[in-house]
Amino acid sequence: MHTTETTNNAPRMTRAEKAAVVARFSRYINRGQVKYLRSGHLDVIETERGGVGFRDPASGRRMYDCFSSAGSFNVSRRNPLIMQALEAALDDLDMGTFHFASPAKAALAAKLAALAPGDLDGVLFAAGGGDAVDCALKLARGATGRSEIIATVKAYHGHTGFALSANGKAHYRRFFEPLMPDFSFVPFNDIEAMRARISEKTAAVILEPVQGEAGIFPADAAYLEGLRALCDERGALLIFDEIQTGFGRTGRLFAADHYGVVPDIMTLAKSLGGGLYPIAAVLYRPTPAVTGFLDRHPVFHETHGGGADLGCRVGLRVLEYIEETRLWENAAARGARLKEALETLQHENPRIIRAVRGLGLMVGIEYVHEFVGPMMSDALARHGVFAAYSGNAPQVMRFMVPLTVNAEEIEGIIVAIRLAVRDMKTLLPAALLAARVPGVLRLLNNERVQTAAFGFLRKIEELLPARRKNA
Amino acid sequence: MSASTSPLQASPGLPQGRLERLRALGHDFLEGRREGAYLWDMQGHRYLDAVSGAGTHNLGRRPEAPVAALRNALRDTDQGNFPMVSIEKARLAETLAGFVPGPLECAVFSVMRGEAMDCACKVARGRTGRAELVTVDGGWYGQTGFALTLSERADKTCFGPLIPEVRIVPFDDISAAEQAVTARTAAFILEPLQAENNCRAAMPEYAGAVAQLCRDRGALLVVDETQTNFGRTGHRFAFEALGMSPDILVLGEALGAGVFPIAATLLTQDVNRFLNAHPLIHLSTFGGSDIGCRVALSAVETYARLEPWRNASMVGARLLADLRETAERPGSPIRGVAGAGLLLSLDCGTEEAAAALCRRAADQGLLVLPGAVARHTVVLRPSLLITEDEADAIVTAVRACL
Repeated sequence: MHTTETTNNAPRMTRAEKAAVVARFSRYINRGQVKYLRSGHLDVIETERGGVGFRDPASGRRMYDCFSSAGSFNVSRRNPLIMQALEAALDDLDMGTFHFASPAKAALAAKLAALAPGDLDGVLFAAGGGDAVDCALKLARGATGRSEIIATVKAYHGHTGFALSANGKAHYRRFFEPLMPDFSFVPFNDIEAMRARISEKTAAVILEPVQGEAGIFPADAAYLEGLRALCDERGALLIFDEIQTGFGRTGRLFAADHYGVVPDIMTLAKSLGGGLYPIAAVLYRPTPAVTGFLDRHPVFHETHGGGADLGCRVGLRVLEYIEETRLWENAAARGARLKEALETLQHENPRIIRAVRGLGLMVGIEYVHEFVGPMMSDALARHGVFAAYSGNAPQVMRFMVPLTVNAEEIEGIIVAIRLAVRDMKTLLPAALLAARVPGVLRLLNNERVQTAAFGFLRKIEELLPARRKNA
Repeated sequence: MSASTSPLQASPGLPQGRLERLRALGHDFLEGRREGAYLWDMQGHRYLDAVSGAGTHNLGRRPEAPVAALRNALRDTDQGNFPMVSIEKARLAETLAGFVPGPLECAVFSVMRGEAMDCACKVARGRTGRAELVTVDGGWYGQTGFALTLSERADKTCFGPLIPEVRIVPFDDISAAEQAVTARTAAFILEPLQAENNCRAAMPEYAGAVAQLCRDRGALLVVDETQTNFGRTGHRFAFEALGMSPDILVLGEALGAGVFPIAATLLTQDVNRFLNAHPLIHLSTFGGSDIGCRVALSAVETYARLEPWRNASMVGARLLADLRETAERPGSPIRGVAGAGLLLSLDCGTEEAAAALCRRAADQGLLVLPGAVARHTVVLRPSLLITEDEADAIVTAVRACL
């Protein structure tokens, strides 16, 4: 079932073939997206997906997938065991019916409850991350009878109505306001700010134990312990969004396991679907307030695409696989090596890299200047690493490779990053010189200017055949 | 047929309240095998599925081509990285542009209907630079933030203050719409036929007036076809029969034929100018999965090949006539039958009577649900490919319940 891996790096797709796909995508989906991706060398079509990467058919280059669809490919791309489970499930199942109970739903719910931190023993299903967050926030408001939700600055929770309202960066919200009232934001890792904001009107505090899109900021242990105590004191629910951090990503099965802090509600999505089939879940502690609400309003969030039977079978196999292979241990070991190498790189290149942060295989580097993000995406792509800068923090690049990555592959990624940084050094002096002119730095850091400028560079490049050779 | 011994107990994924609801409706069994118009519980009792995942299983359970498409997709692709250009996404979007009438050329993919509606509301605000969303009473659009705010439901107050600047006007009232739609209105949102509200249908005059109002005042017309799309009402899309031309069309999980969760928000090129200017401002990790796009492509090809709206129209008309005849029998508790094609609603008078009908229908081997808005009604939504014999079996089962 696995596509045969070859070392032949010749192009598999002509420029005309790729242009046809891109033209179709531009017309029928989004031409702005194509321009944006092009400017960062991210307009790559993924073929021969498997293991920790895919092949860019236009260049013929094998790419390490260090984006993993924001943490969806923890068990690797096209993991044969997960594919087998889905194939087998296809013999007699389909999505099923949102309303009915089923063996597949019961089995996944039981497994999630067994593996979840502490007494998170109740399970509601959702279709995707945003749906799960909307479900969690509705549950919190419903169970407490309160309306205020406190989220964190630069938080990322999704794009549906409630999730977007809890998104801590104006970029994603500004065109769609007014959103849900009674949502507010406090700085992450700042317990005093939370203490000042939380009250008897607070329904819930929601946060990611490691902020992802914000640029990889792990919570301090004292912060999460403090939040737990504050929530208990004020009768508010504590919600952990583990959509990106769950399923081994941070070196433990769930990020909450690092801290020994059990939230009242936990949202899960992405890697639960094994990179193959959508499935998400909301776990909750069955306290009287929560179960009372659920008993009075059993269908308060009955989502039609959520808890699909096929997705439940996939999710169950994903959890079994992670348990069998103790995948979080590999994430911890490989993550430590990657972080160490990136720290060395930082010390060698203080004018480019400001900081390295991470937990397990959720690792990010922060550049000194925002505009370095797209330039680095470009340089990395040339060396066979697909990585995207963070949505809520373009100066941070995340490296979220599948957790199955082995020692040799991690070294390959490290070499590629080193080469990309070396390339950057030849480009950076000119950019930094320009950045000294007042206003130019701000211009360079503007996303639209970047898209236009780097898009222009791509066009010039493609006119110069000499530069099109494989790096 | 009867699910005599309840095998169900409350469990991590089945809170007591849900279990009680399943019992009250006679649905306290485990969904097992499923094929075509039917599903079986784990004891082997066969039921005709007239729930169809609320309009998800339009082609029946486990339709051959989409199931095969999923198997084939597994041989060489996966979900893909969501921001990327892909052959699958581009091909499905192009195919939809050709399949759906009118100038709805652009697609944003979602994983389920609420998300697709939230996307529609956001794009309407973004494109017009206006905030106000106007909808009609009796609507049911999904569970996510915008969709919930627009919907009419008894438990809405549980969730605190919702999306501001949403106005709900009486359905089918042209003068109320005229007053509500102003230069501040981003969009007018409606379902052509309110599946959860006793299948209340918009009249062509109303639809035409609303569309004209939107044009005059620069508001966008958003049509939610999550329950009516791909032939459910006897038309390919219900808006076609109303002579409307939406600026934004919301498609539900029937797009994935009940095999893969995928939904879509279709936009005109003009509306899509907003997303072209602000790419990646609305994201969905699972929406537009490459595997999902392969399944959906197969589903759309199957819809085009089978034209199930023809069967829905023909068998639906017969079913409607037979059920109306049943309702008019002396002593019948059914007060009326509404709907179009294979989306029909039985008015049972009270919520209790509707639940009782669902329970008795389950004993007769027929699975139906009460309307989510009009809870005194029971909605009939079988596979669009049912035969006349199967339609007769539905009528026989309903008659046996009375």
